[in-house]
Amino acid sequence: MAVGEHGITVDDARRDYRRFVNLGRLIKFIALLLFCIFAVWTAWYMNMPLERLSGMFGRIGTMVFNRMMPPDLDYAMTGNVFYSILETIEMSFLGTVYGVLLAVPVAWFGAWNVTPSRTICYPLGRAALVLSRAIPPIIWAMILVVILGFGPMAGTITLVLLTLSFAGKLMSEQVEAIDMGPVEAIRATGAGEIKTFVYAVLPQVKAAWIGIIIYNWDSSFRASTILGFVGAGGLGLYLRSTTQLLDYERAMGIILVVIALVIASEILSHFARRRIR
Amino acid sequence: MSGIEAADASGINGAGLIGDANPLRPRNTILKRYCLIAGFASVVLVLTAHVFVFQTDWARTGGLGQMLKTAAWFLPNLGYFPSILLALFETFLIALFGTLIGMVIAIPVAVLAARNVTPAGLASYWAGRVTIVLSRSVHELIFALIFVSALGLGPLPGMLALAVRSVGFLAKTTAEAIENIDIGPVEAIEATGARRIAVLLFAVMPQVFPIFVGNVIFQFDINIRRAAILGMVGGGGIGLIFAEQIMSLAYDRAGTVVLGVVAMVLLGEYISIRIRSWLL
Amino acid sequence: MALLEVVGLKKTYPTGETALRGIDLTVNGAEVIAVLGLSGSGKSTLLRCINRLVEPSEGLVVLDGVRVSELDRRGLQRARRHMGMIFQEYNLVDRLTVLENVLSGCLGVASTWRAVTRAFRKDDIERAMELCSRVGILDQIRKRADQLSGGQRQRVGIARALMQQPKILLVDEPTSSLDPKIGAEVMELMCAVADEHNVPILVSVHDLDVATGYSKRIVGLREGRIVFDAETREVDRSMLQSIYTDQDAA
Repeated sequence: MAVGEHGITVDDARRDYRRFVNLGRLIKFIALLLFCIFAVWTAWYMNMPLERLSGMFGRIGTMVFNRMMPPDLDYAMTGNVFYSILETIEMSFLGTVYGVLLAVPVAWFGAWNVTPSRTICYPLGRAALVLSRAIPPIIWAMILVVILGFGPMAGTITLVLLTLSFAGKLMSEQVEAIDMGPVEAIRATGAGEIKTFVYAVLPQVKAAWIGIIIYNWDSSFRASTILGFVGAGGLGLYLRSTTQLLDYERAMGIILVVIALVIASEILSHFARRRIR
Repeated sequence: MSGIEAADASGINGAGLIGDANPLRPRNTILKRYCLIAGFASVVLVLTAHVFVFQTDWARTGGLGQMLKTAAWFLPNLGYFPSILLALFETFLIALFGTLIGMVIAIPVAVLAARNVTPAGLASYWAGRVTIVLSRSVHELIFALIFVSALGLGPLPGMLALAVRSVGFLAKTTAEAIENIDIGPVEAIEATGARRIAVLLFAVMPQVFPIFVGNVIFQFDINIRRAAILGMVGGGGIGLIFAEQIMSLAYDRAGTVVLGVVAMVLLGEYISIRIRSWLL
Repeated sequence: MALLEVVGLKKTYPTGETALRGIDLTVNGAEVIAVLGLSGSGKSTLLRCINRLVEPSEGLVVLDGVRVSELDRRGLQRARRHMGMIFQEYNLVDRLTVLENVLSGCLGVASTWRAVTRAFRKDDIERAMELCSRVGILDQIRKRADQLSGGQRQRVGIARALMQQPKILLVDEPTSSLDPKIGAEVMELMCAVADEHNVPILVSVHDLDVATGYSKRIVGLREGRIVFDAETREVDRSMLQSIYTDQDAA
């Protein structure tokens, strides 16, 4: 038997390896088995109609092609519905603007390294970020509709919160990753917190923030198209009304408009991102 | 006049109306910039007025006091909490399996959508990319509506809706990761005469694995939030209960549901962090 | 019949750059042949055209009677199993273990199922371990490839290439990324092991000493053309000078 340069024979290695690999395989197998059992149990526990899966594509196909086609795009382009498209864009725009305005201080407060007060501001900032993020936007929308009434105001504030949760979090992470050197330098000149932020922090994160804001616009816009479903303004309202009335062709028209709008918005932000470079 | 001469001419005290007469910041640019900002601000103000003043039924909303009072109605009724635990658990499972199913579908879609490994050239590349775009443009509520009408009410359509929705992000990020891999190991495995799929498995997959897993965990986190609302259209989970409570004006119970959702989301985040550090 | 025959090989890249301007080369037995040339002389391209990692624009490559340059995809995969390649940058799969990297050498013949489950055949594993022992990394086989030093990685590369039981080894500047002492060890090892398995080596180098130190035959390459092809002991100064272009010589 050849002895390797390090005193281990191939026999030893083989034995070692087999033990190792077999153990590994056993563990993987057991894990997979446990998972399958778990999956089956879940299916049973939740009474999932798995038998209906086989016909699912057929049924979706029927539904889409028989009942949803041809899509009633004229409906989507007339009067109230068209106006709601504009309202969607309006909500999205305002929500992003105010959201960003709010996100700047929140991102600052929520950043451990430069927060003006680690006992007050930091927890506030963090709580704002976590809370806005932990509650799904549609639930926010429903709550705000109760408090503020139907209409785009509830939707806009929902989007502000959404922007806060999404862009705010990313922006805060960027702040926490900056070089502290300039911060110390500006602080050493005796500048106050706000000045330090503006002169030492902002220049470092500006570029990344713009990217984040553009990225956020995409996701904000997508959310805004659906908020109307619960009465918070925008196109979603008509999605609800058409599906409840089983007006599937009109519903499809709305869905297609939504897809077109989202794609258009993505193309815009793609170009915006290019220009920034 | 050269820049230096202009600076001399303006002198140290040469302060103009709009900023100092600094040849490095000519007046035109500053003027342009302020005009842009002013224009932007006025658009924002007009739209704000439109939304907040004209489009809002202030009679029904009442003033700030009324708003705060209404908000207070949402204070959670903790006694109600135990009754929603089961629904929260169900929501959690919907998110879990929805993510896993989406993960499985996303792998082949990612391979299609990656320029360097797509099997059938431009056709399969576009097929992959279009799938990704569609998955990301359509809200999960819409997917849920479609699946519910094909499968009936229950958690299964919810899982599928989340799965389809997750494919977009997962496939997109994985495709990008695939496009950025080190081609060296790929060449090496190709040079041994291995079949296409073996090259994928041995040279491509190991390189994108960490990114892929990280993204799956991230999507799971997001899907917990999404799962919470799918119930509203029949997709199972706590969404239905929330909608019911709101509609029957039981706002304190609705508040309890929100509390439950927050707790579930935070739990999900905690689990995500643990799994991430364990796997990677 | 010659083991490897290259006839009239040419390669022009889509960018317009011509890397090979007509190469004729024959490899007969288990010898070490150094392809000596400067950067850009085409040595890398030549090796890669033989196993068609780079598609030649013109010319013929015949390995043991098989016209490699004319094969379809399936045929090429089969042909590649007989050609082991060792890379300058090692090209190991970082996240996989040393043993898995060596075993990837037999992916050409492994069934799809085995590739998916990584359940290689027992005698393949056996052979892989013996190769690892021979190249001196048996105690590292369970380590991830990215935890190894450069020299160790190249040893894995050697083991992987030999795992294929190839008819020829195509080696692309194996020591350019290593420091000279380690590089020498690797070259020694590679030539010794190849000799033991009776496999010819076609190795590209830019270092004169490496070429003269390990090869029996040197092929000089300049700007895509062979400028000399002779036994090492017959190579003289003027031949070596010819691999330099006029600009370099100045």
